[in-house]
Amino acid sequence: MVESGSPVARSPIAPTSPEAVVAGWAVSGRRSVAAQTLTDQSPLTKVAVKASWDGAMAETLGVRFGRSARRSFDVEAAAGKVLMTGSGPGEWMALAAPVMQAAVVDWLEKSAAGADELVTVVDLTHGRALVRLTGASSRDLLAKECAIDLDDAAFPDARALRSAVAGVATDLVRDDQDGVPSYLLHCERSSGQYLFDSLLDAGREFGAETDGFVPPGI
Amino acid sequence: MPMRLDPQRGEVIDRERSFTFGWNGRPFPAYSGDTIASALSAGGVRVFSRSFKYHRPRGLLTASYLDPGCLLQVGNEPNVRGAHRLVEAGMDVRSQDTWPSLSFDVKAANELARRALPAGFYYKTFMSPGWLWPTYERVLERFAHGGVVGAGPEIDGRGGRYDKRHAHPDVLVAGGGPAGMACAVAAARAGASVMLVEEEQELGGHLRWGGSADLAALGEMRGLVETTAGIEVLTDAVVLGRYDDNWVSVLHRGLPDVEERLVKARAKTLVVAPGLIERPYVFAGNDVPGVMLSTAVRRLVNLYAVRPGHRAVVLTANAAGDAAAVDLERVGVDVVCVEDARSGGDVVVVHGRGRVRSVELGSGRRVDCDLVVTATGWTAPVSLLTMAGDVPRYDPKGARFRSDLSGLPPDVLATGGIAGDGTLEQLVAHGEATGQKAARRAADIATTRRATAPPSADGTATVQPGAVVQIPHLPVDAHPELFRGRTHGIVDFSEDVSSKDLFTAVAEGYSSAELAKRYTTATMGPAQGKLETVNVVAVVAEATGRTIAETGTTTWRPPYAPVTLGALAGRQREPVRYSPMQSWHERHGAVPLVAGAWVRPDHYGDPVGEARAVRRGVGVIDVSPIGKLDLRGPDVSRLLNLVYVNKWSKLEVGRVRYGVMCGEDGVVIDDGVVGRLGDEHYLMSTTSSGAAAVWAWLESWLQTEHPQWGVHVTPVTTSYASINVAGPASRELLSRVVDDVDLGSEAFPYMHVRTGRVAGVDGCVLWRIGFTGELSFELHVPAGFGTHVWETLLERGRDLQVRAFGVEAQRILRLEKGHLIVGQDTDGLTRAYGAALDGLVKLDKDDFAGLPELTWQHERRDGPRLVGLRTTDQALVPAEGSQLVDENGRICGRVTSSRMSPTLGRSVCLAQVEPAHAEPGSEVTVRLVDGGTAGGVVTEHLAQVDPEGVRLRG
Repeated sequence: MVESGSPVARSPIAPTSPEAVVAGWAVSGRRSVAAQTLTDQSPLTKVAVKASWDGAMAETLGVRFGRSARRSFDVEAAAGKVLMTGSGPGEWMALAAPVMQAAVVDWLEKSAAGADELVTVVDLTHGRALVRLTGASSRDLLAKECAIDLDDAAFPDARALRSAVAGVATDLVRDDQDGVPSYLLHCERSSGQYLFDSLLDAGREFGAETDGFVPPGI
Repeated sequence: MPMRLDPQRGEVIDRERSFTFGWNGRPFPAYSGDTIASALSAGGVRVFSRSFKYHRPRGLLTASYLDPGCLLQVGNEPNVRGAHRLVEAGMDVRSQDTWPSLSFDVKAANELARRALPAGFYYKTFMSPGWLWPTYERVLERFAHGGVVGAGPEIDGRGGRYDKRHAHPDVLVAGGGPAGMACAVAAARAGASVMLVEEEQELGGHLRWGGSADLAALGEMRGLVETTAGIEVLTDAVVLGRYDDNWVSVLHRGLPDVEERLVKARAKTLVVAPGLIERPYVFAGNDVPGVMLSTAVRRLVNLYAVRPGHRAVVLTANAAGDAAAVDLERVGVDVVCVEDARSGGDVVVVHGRGRVRSVELGSGRRVDCDLVVTATGWTAPVSLLTMAGDVPRYDPKGARFRSDLSGLPPDVLATGGIAGDGTLEQLVAHGEATGQKAARRAADIATTRRATAPPSADGTATVQPGAVVQIPHLPVDAHPELFRGRTHGIVDFSEDVSSKDLFTAVAEGYSSAELAKRYTTATMGPAQGKLETVNVVAVVAEATGRTIAETGTTTWRPPYAPVTLGALAGRQREPVRYSPMQSWHERHGAVPLVAGAWVRPDHYGDPVGEARAVRRGVGVIDVSPIGKLDLRGPDVSRLLNLVYVNKWSKLEVGRVRYGVMCGEDGVVIDDGVVGRLGDEHYLMSTTSSGAAAVWAWLESWLQTEHPQWGVHVTPVTTSYASINVAGPASRELLSRVVDDVDLGSEAFPYMHVRTGRVAGVDGCVLWRIGFTGELSFELHVPAGFGTHVWETLLERGRDLQVRAFGVEAQRILRLEKGHLIVGQDTDGLTRAYGAALDGLVKLDKDDFAGLPELTWQHERRDGPRLVGLRTTDQALVPAEGSQLVDENGRICGRVTSSRMSPTLGRSVCLAQVEPAHAEPGSEVTVRLVDGGTAGGVVTEHLAQVDPEGVRLRG
């Protein structure tokens, strides 16, 4: 059934039944109480920033390479919070609630206006698959698919890195939820279903289940 | 269970949980905690297998993982270590490679021909005539030893049996005996994260089958391991190898959900603590069932409460042998004789075949018995240390090869029996000091790594570097040098190699241990030398008249223990990439085409019909895999001028231009179009397979050659679902879903770009380009809306007979139009002029990648050239890759692409040919794959449909 008047966006990860529409995205409405969960969070707004790693924009963003932090924004279109990650040297990724692309881009472009350097802001909301892995066994689960040392001492909360997960180039952000280990993983959209399936497969021994999408306040 | 004893203090069986399993089709009782071998032994079984070559009956020798006489078939799984694998209820256990039965094995006739089957028989006999080898091979296959790999659903349906994981312990301790446990606890107490790896199912090493003092110490040490934070214990696991930078592979078995798991550990320090392995004694009849090592006897008695025999003779040269004799007497075995090798005692010949019947002692006395126990020495399993560069030296005092621990790399340490002998207290003290030192070194390594890491990687140290730890000296006990007695016997129980075979090998010139090993295959069986290497060296030394030290050892290489291919392979992780419209394609019967990691619709059942639909009306194709790069900044045009062979300075906003990239050798590496979306904003397309390489190519130029240029490149391939709407009715179809872009030919001409809303979706990019040669529009829509737009196009175009078409139809259409595909119509040597891109290359540019090479090519006019080709037999479609030959039969080119054109009703081809044959009208001969030939004529244009481009620009 084509609904040309109200297009619904679809994640690269097929929603686990029951399917629901949240913020214009078809998502899974499943609710899991498992201790180890995997959630498709692809509907989140994702905006990439490129600038000099040590320039004025870097200072404005206030997040170094390999770190993440929450920031508030307030522009004409909207106000809210973003999880800002230093995803590479001179690269940042801002994650925000769904359908906030315009506001986040606006905020970042205005933030860049004062910087005497080339700053690029690109909306990658549709270009990246994003999943959240939460639970006490998250590190052990990831250790099956990622060669990086994710021990608390080496990769504590609010750290970020880019590596291969299940053979796919993936950005990994440690973002604990109420003290429970939690990781955000995002990769190119086209590999999203594969990455999700791989993590779910690796998580079988830990009782990992799919949990549905609930828009986070960030 | 006729041989089951009353409860023993250290037994590991659970007498409350009994069950039955099958042994060669017969039910046998067992307790939980029994190994297959202990359960069968308790039931009175003494023969478990037949030997490799002569099919002699074999019983237990070590009663451990290494036991060469107990490799069994369990269900569909072959070569199971029966003395290690825990038995399970209902398990179907069978002997391997015996026919018709274990008790009567026809292949035992080999022994009758023993004189005709000396060492090297195989090499000598089957060398010639060479043409008979296939026959030899078929016969020899029937004699291959080992079990049968199952092929039923039991195996195939359990794809998850093997997997891998990574680990990063500060300290990895290989061996969970007393020294290993003490080491792990000390390292963890010093703040290190520790991985403790033990080959047995439980920690404890030799303490497990010891006396009450040993068992008390065992309980205490296990308690410490359990209660000390920071120790991960892997039992039923073995370190397979140590590689550079302490990359240590560990095989973990017997997990609940996984058959075997390969642990890839990057340990800051490795502590090798495997203990010592008891060595068999070489004498006649040493492989008769009932001849066992002292540790085997102690295991059977103390761990599994199994009586190894009724009447025993013990040959002992050390405390382990003495203890075995005591254990046997304690449980009521009649120990009729203890031959003390320290005072000249010896055994010479064991009589019996299926079981021991008597033994001749060194004194000449013959004793009737059913059990002969030997305790004649130890082997230090130095494999992991040799993998770290150690060269072990023979120590005649201890009668074993030992490592020079002072010469090890700083990140490799050793403790326990491999370091020396001593009391339990001495071993524990050595282990503790080694653990502290390992933790300190791990901290030092972490500190060094942090110092060289980027500023942001400032993880906190778990262990602070401190004072140097002194490791106490472990003495080496004097031990008689006992390897081979007065008679010849089996040296390698796995490979059925006797000491006589080794003498023969030496006599034939294979006088080094390495050569004798390869000639006889001694040490090359499942035990991989752990039981037999030292005896092999000793026998070779004896045969050559050299000392053992002069003879030296063979080389230990990874893996330390056998590993299944399943464990090495692990779970299959092969990344795949899907278009946003993949589920639609699947629902509509698309035949998948795997292109790199992408899965694309090749066709929907009728590629020719799909191609016709595009020429006659309109079709839509999912081209999402096309690479897309977002380029922003004031210097983008400079970058484009550098990487493309054509000019870009004057590309206006709203225009699109085709470009070809060459390497610095002038070879074509990619092509695509670039649209200018704003003053400093461009969108570049690349080939599907070339997206990542082009991104790297651009970044390479920007980061290394022109860091001052203001250009940012962001890959956006998967941000957009890309749909090409092609055909004479494409504008009509698109006009029904686009309301904010004037699609008219004047407002939106060929090679232009617009942005707008498609099917209600904002932020879409529309290019008027096409690969099919038809009027076409390429839509790039935010990927999450890809399926919506796709379905809307098909819905709104129903009256136009719009049809989805796949890659195959696109290939037909593009070939009719003469559009090349980089990588198919070009190869790794095709420079731009060879790809018929003469008009595109602008040698008058200041510079671009490949300019010098292309200037040279332009002057020389050399190299093959891409041409259109038609066959004289119009119905003939030559296979891609078919050779082209000239009138002299010399190869002058090849067909690069070929299809039957539904538009023209004849075949169309592109080909690479030498310049002399590239002029239109040139005639060549096509060599067909069936051996025939066909005539071919070079066409005037690459395009054989609409060469003027009227349809394209419509």
